Amino acid sequence: MTLYLNGLSVRYGQRPVLTDLCLPPVAAGSVVGLLGANGAGKSTLLRALAGLQSATGTATLDGQSLLTSTHHEAVGYLPQSLPQGSPLLAYEAVLSTLRATRPDLSRRAAEQRIETVFDRLGLRDLALRTMAQLSGGQRQMVGLAQVLVRQPRLLLLDEPTSALDLRWQLAVLQTVRSLTVDHGCLALIAIHDINLAARFCDRLLILGDGTVIADGPPASALTPATLSDAYAVSARVERCSLGTPIVLADSALPL
Amino acid sequence: MTAFSLAAGYRRRILGRIVLLTALAGAVAAAMLLDVATGPSGVRLTDLLQADTEPALAIILWDIRLPQAVMAVLVGAALALAGAEMQTTLNNALASPFTLGLTNAATLGAALGIVFDLSLPGIPSLWTIPLNAFAAAVAATLLVNALARSQGAGADTIVLFGIAMVFVMNALLWLIQYVASADAVQQIVFWTMGSLNRATWEKDALVALALAICLPLSLRQAWAMTTLRSGEDHARSFGIPVARLRLVVLLRVSLLAAAAVSFVGTIGFIGLVGPHLARLLIGEDHRFYLPGAALAGALVMSLASTASKSIVPGLVLPVGIVTALVGIPLFMTLLLSQRRRG
Repeated sequence: MTLYLNGLSVRYGQRPVLTDLCLPPVAAGSVVGLLGANGAGKSTLLRALAGLQSATGTATLDGQSLLTSTHHEAVGYLPQSLPQGSPLLAYEAVLSTLRATRPDLSRRAAEQRIETVFDRLGLRDLALRTMAQLSGGQRQMVGLAQVLVRQPRLLLLDEPTSALDLRWQLAVLQTVRSLTVDHGCLALIAIHDINLAARFCDRLLILGDGTVIADGPPASALTPATLSDAYAVSARVERCSLGTPIVLADSALPL
Repeated sequence: MTAFSLAAGYRRRILGRIVLLTALAGAVAAAMLLDVATGPSGVRLTDLLQADTEPALAIILWDIRLPQAVMAVLVGAALALAGAEMQTTLNNALASPFTLGLTNAATLGAALGIVFDLSLPGIPSLWTIPLNAFAAAVAATLLVNALARSQGAGADTIVLFGIAMVFVMNALLWLIQYVASADAVQQIVFWTMGSLNRATWEKDALVALALAICLPLSLRQAWAMTTLRSGEDHARSFGIPVARLRLVVLLRVSLLAAAAVSFVGTIGFIGLVGPHLARLLIGEDHRFYLPGAALAGALVMSLASTASKSIVPGLVLPVGIVTALVGIPLFMTLLLSQRRRG
């Protein structure tokens, strides 16, 4: 399975948000981190690939366009913001997603999938609570369960760790990492924590003003120059004892 | 935990909801019986059991009280089902046929039918006003939907245009009343008040038909509507055609609102309270929430019908007035106590 982007552009009215974006083929099993300042186009790119935002250019998954036809079965998208709590149980939020999109599954098969995804994300204790009783981070986890239960091949996750504490941030990224390895799927994750991205992603796509500033493995994509271009900060890139790059931001540069 | 223990736990919750729905249905039956037992003539239920031998009692039972009690239940169910579907698809807890102008449009259609005597050849006169009301409600729905689509078809945009529709429809209604004859104005006022007095078995059958068409169609989309509660972007990314779902729901709501308004006039409160009660009791799994809302609406309307005959002895108040004056304070108390409990 391969994801390929070429000349992808998105406009909001007259304002270009993504301009001529290119991404050389990304192979199955990869986790790609989308980095960039607020408004760089990360969420727009994910929404365009999820079919929620009209775009021009080429975006293909296994040679099939993601822009012109509906590939909902293959794509799993987690939005940046989810609704405030409702009286819906976490279990039935996941169940309804599966039932609405896969009516062909038997009840037993559906229940099996739901149990698996709740176990995989460590959400078993929350399953029979209402969404209103959950914290923002827990709701985000249930949102992720709704995505994963459909077993998509391409995961598009918009800041999946933004409302989570450190333990759950690691748990989510470890889960995504293991899913890509175990099931050969592919993940694009918009994320603000550069060090988490460096730790869990095979490849980083750093966006600035809707164009690509850097693209490559964390060790080559993260440099003081690319960080300065993307975030307008003065930063050092060092190595931890495991060899993973660590970004130390020193100061904000004048805009 | 054993395998499938979550599913087993969830099934226990489902069982609880089925029990609640059954209890609600029982409460509706009891409220209907109370409604039948109450009336300005003072004839009691025990007397009505003699209706077989007393022609006057038979008329009270079969031509007045029963059709009205049945109409109260049907109209309550129709308006609450319409409100529940609207609240979900527009993601707005204040949405109801009344707040989005559909009831006003149906009233305008009925008023046009009354003032200009818009009867169609070959169509029985019983159908004329409902058809006018339905046509106006559908026209308003399509207009609101078309305007909203031109701006991206977002739920908030539909709500905004719907509220604008309320004012436009009211202005047109006032204009018609201004130019209409005194007799026609009196008839129009009937629509705007909401009354069960003119219920007949034929009219009951028409509202029942609208419900029988809409409820199964609603339930077929129960999973999609439940998923929509997880957010519009999320639902769309799963492949649920949200814009189409919204249009279909609004058309169903037009039919329900028009059927209700055509025969009992404007009753705004039920479309709001039925869904809220069902949500509090049953949750938002739409397989249970939609029938729950219909039953809750039927219950409230049936109790309001009884109250409308009991508040002033010997006088039947328009039920729309009773639902507002008695129901809304009760509803607010319920909501506030729920909020205090957390």
